[in-house]
Amino acid sequence: MGIHLGVWNMAVLFYIIRKLVLREDGVMQAIHVEELEKTFRVRRKEKGMRGSVQAILRPQTEEIRAVKGVSFGVDAGEMLAFIGPNGAGKSTTIKMLTGILYPDGGRATVLGIDPAKRRRQLAYQIGTVFGQKEQLWTHLTPYDNFRFFGAIYDIPEKETERRIGELAERFELGEFINTPVRNLSLGQRIRCEIVASLLHKPQVLFLDEPTIGLDPVVKESVRSLIRQMNREFNTTIFLTSHDVGDIEKICKRIIIVNAGQIVLDDSMEHLKYHYLHKKIVEVKMQEETALPQVEGITILKRKGTHARLEVDTGRIEIGDALRRINASDVEDINISNVPLENIIMDIYKAEGRDTAS
Amino acid sequence: MLTAVKNQVRVCALSIKYNIMREMLNQVTFLMNVTFMILNNASILIQWFILFRLREEIGGYTMREIMVLWGLTAASFGLSHILFARVYSLPELIVSGKLDSYLVQPKSVLLGVMTSSTDVSAIGDLLYGVILLMVAGLSVRGFLFSLLFVVTGAVTLTAFALLLGSLAFWFVRVEMLSGQMVMGLVSFATYPDGIFRGISRFLLYFILPVGMVVYHPVHILVRFDGGMLFTVLVYACLLSAAAAAVFYRGLRRYASSSLMEARM
Repeated sequence: MGIHLGVWNMAVLFYIIRKLVLREDGVMQAIHVEELEKTFRVRRKEKGMRGSVQAILRPQTEEIRAVKGVSFGVDAGEMLAFIGPNGAGKSTTIKMLTGILYPDGGRATVLGIDPAKRRRQLAYQIGTVFGQKEQLWTHLTPYDNFRFFGAIYDIPEKETERRIGELAERFELGEFINTPVRNLSLGQRIRCEIVASLLHKPQVLFLDEPTIGLDPVVKESVRSLIRQMNREFNTTIFLTSHDVGDIEKICKRIIIVNAGQIVLDDSMEHLKYHYLHKKIVEVKMQEETALPQVEGITILKRKGTHARLEVDTGRIEIGDALRRINASDVEDINISNVPLENIIMDIYKAEGRDTAS
Repeated sequence: MLTAVKNQVRVCALSIKYNIMREMLNQVTFLMNVTFMILNNASILIQWFILFRLREEIGGYTMREIMVLWGLTAASFGLSHILFARVYSLPELIVSGKLDSYLVQPKSVLLGVMTSSTDVSAIGDLLYGVILLMVAGLSVRGFLFSLLFVVTGAVTLTAFALLLGSLAFWFVRVEMLSGQMVMGLVSFATYPDGIFRGISRFLLYFILPVGMVVYHPVHILVRFDGGMLFTVLVYACLLSAAAAAVFYRGLRRYASSSLMEARM
């Protein structure tokens, strides 16, 4: 009877897990979020001493809805950029998904586990890197830190040693693995932070501004390592960053949040396709000549013989726009897409206005 | 279950070891801190020697009992501050949102936070306390019991600080109240309970748990009382459970922060 009950329990458990983590088309979902909400209550104080006295006698609080009913899903092995301006609710969302904050409404599961209810169980399966918050002990060497993390994740000592060796080689930590963390450069420290978060082979890696403050060379190396993790171990990447380079070079999909709501959820390819209908044309003329005053062409900047134009290809073909410029006068010309940074900024502004109104 | 407990203990032990290793980085400062704390405590005991030359008994205590009282207080305070120093700065951690790194680890948040720091001068307190208990003229059985009371005292003191510190999840600026209450407890624990009467005596037994940390243990060591021993042990367990429950209840209100932070 025991065996039969065991079989039935397994079957039911399998069905529940399937319902929780599989999409309708059968693709495994690493993260599933439904109508997630978080409200913070903050104290309000009028300005000056009078305000301070009033705050003691009649304390006033106000509620700030940091996340307002956010829903989305992330497939296993997907690389997602979760971005938005400061105060948009992205860090609050990441903190709810990692079990740091309790949600006030809605539901979230990561690898089928509810972070609010089974935080410890989830912690074995996920890794976190917070660019602004150190998880490493600063007075210890990276090696001692990794041994400590091995103990935290219940990895046997021999296995910890093996993984430290493997990751140290891949992340090129050899030179400074025995130097106290406080003596490391920021780039070296971030690499160590990433290694510490990968020691237990997490299935989902949450990265909150991992390249903040790094120089371009180290940034590129960190991005390449994240891509490598995804490629080799199918690690799901959930990234928040203000650096467009991170988003462009790591992620295949982008979710933009503003004022606690999702304002765009699209693939990077689609985003570029839909929003890249504007081209930037930079021309250097042989002498100062009049530039075309046509609908669809906006003169962004003009200085002597140099000019910077924006061509809206939805209104005028790029070929037509170029024909309006006197070709015999052109000394040099450069046509480029609008930088992704500008596109994102436009979305922030436009959607921010919409949600505010 | 047993493996989980074993692993948790291993992590706590490593954490405490690393804390002490950090403090030992500067040998001179480390030794000075420990030595001066012993000397500082010893200088206060001189006052008691002088007082007992004037009177044979103060508040029902002789010099021997004062030594036991001081031994228990210093050793309990020392043990608590060596192992769980972070509990005493818990309100600051809560208010400035510094619990994040403990919350993403698959281990007890509470034990992780508690064992994340040490107070090196507390080693001096512990050594001083144990030395006093050794020279106070207790029997071997009495000395072993006194060591048990050092542990129960440290547990009760830590739980009391945890309980008050956890209020920071609900109230801001609670660190002042929490700090004052804990220091009040420690201060009262260095005076014989016989000098307190009425409301102050009630406070010391029922509001500030000084009675459970040192007064009952001193009485038990002078004249064994099984009921009193049971009360001390049960109180330490109940207060710890209550403090942990308040901490975890408050953790649901934890708001984190976006401040820059380093694990020092």
